[in-house]
Amino acid sequence: MRALIAAATGLTLALALVLGISALGSPSGRTSPKPLLTTVPSHP
Amino acid sequence: MRRTASLVLLAFAVFFAALAPLLRWYAFPHLARIPANQYQDMVLEARDATLLDYGTMRAKKVSKVTIVQTLKGDVEAAEKIEKTAGRPVVVWDSLSYVQGPDGKMVSKVPERYIFDAHSQDPVHATGEMVDGDPVTREGIEFKWPFLTQRRDYEYFDAQTRTTGPIHYEGTRTFRGLTVYYFEQTVPWTKVPMPKTMPVQGITPESVARTGTTRWYSTVRKFWVEPVTGAPVYGEEIHKEELRGGSLLGDRAKVTAFAGHVKMREDYIEHTVALVKHNRTLVLALTSYVPRTSLALGLLLLALALCLEARARRPQSPEPSGTADPAPVTT
Repeated sequence: MRALIAAATGLTLALALVLGISALGSPSGRTSPKPLLTTVPSHP
Repeated sequence: MRRTASLVLLAFAVFFAALAPLLRWYAFPHLARIPANQYQDMVLEARDATLLDYGTMRAKKVSKVTIVQTLKGDVEAAEKIEKTAGRPVVVWDSLSYVQGPDGKMVSKVPERYIFDAHSQDPVHATGEMVDGDPVTREGIEFKWPFLTQRRDYEYFDAQTRTTGPIHYEGTRTFRGLTVYYFEQTVPWTKVPMPKTMPVQGITPESVARTGTTRWYSTVRKFWVEPVTGAPVYGEEIHKEELRGGSLLGDRAKVTAFAGHVKMREDYIEHTVALVKHNRTLVLALTSYVPRTSLALGLLLLALALCLEARARRPQSPEPSGTADPAPVTT
């Protein structure tokens, strides 16, 4: 029974970690103020 | 004491073993996404190209034609579309600006491309267009999906506004990266005149009245890094002709543009460096961390079982001293 509780704890922690990180995701940020180019840039 | 330690080890073993598939099949699709605010420019060049002189309406050889392609993510539009689409969306506004050797504009074609941030599947919403014409894209454009497969894909061609297969032609090595090579041939197809013409006073409508039509053919080549799905190099053997109508006088057709378009060297180096960096991040989610986590989980499980077995082994009684052998009597 104690082994089952230990395994369930490990599984719950893994689920919580992955769901938490995935929910946070990456910030979408803001639209770049830079224009669509109509001149040839000298470098990337 | 040993039993408590084995239980703690078991909890960690399950934690790490469960982490592996969760990272690969749950976190990866949620985290590996094209950023909605991406801004990227690219310069391509066609050396010794043929270009139409609109003054004389004759084709002439020019030293270089430059194409500046910019992609810019519209975050606000993406957030708005996401609410109805129910999935992460990226909205790219792009501009292909073509410039002649004298620095003057040859053509500029804007596009709005809306797609799923992870799968790269097109998302259809108001505003999707090519040069102001509403379109409904099928297939991919500009980029391949993460974990690109060795198979043909459907690729959207902005000039013809149609989708056709782009064929997987083999695996190659490009500047130290393993890449998949794809090629698409678009046969001669009648295409619309660009909305913005290089000469003031000439409009697509005025050209249409002369009966002259625009035709286009291309061979499109991409070297795609399969983990990120990002093209690290591209080429296009691009041809455009004006055919028929009073604009050409007694000629049946005239070349409007012909050239072998290639990425500029500094942009190749920049793209390869960027893709190498992003590749490591994607591999961390799909391979490095899940594999290490699974191995650690199995190791900890073995350790937990070992400790548990030792804890369960019956204790042997303490020796009570050396017993002298009994004397043998006869």
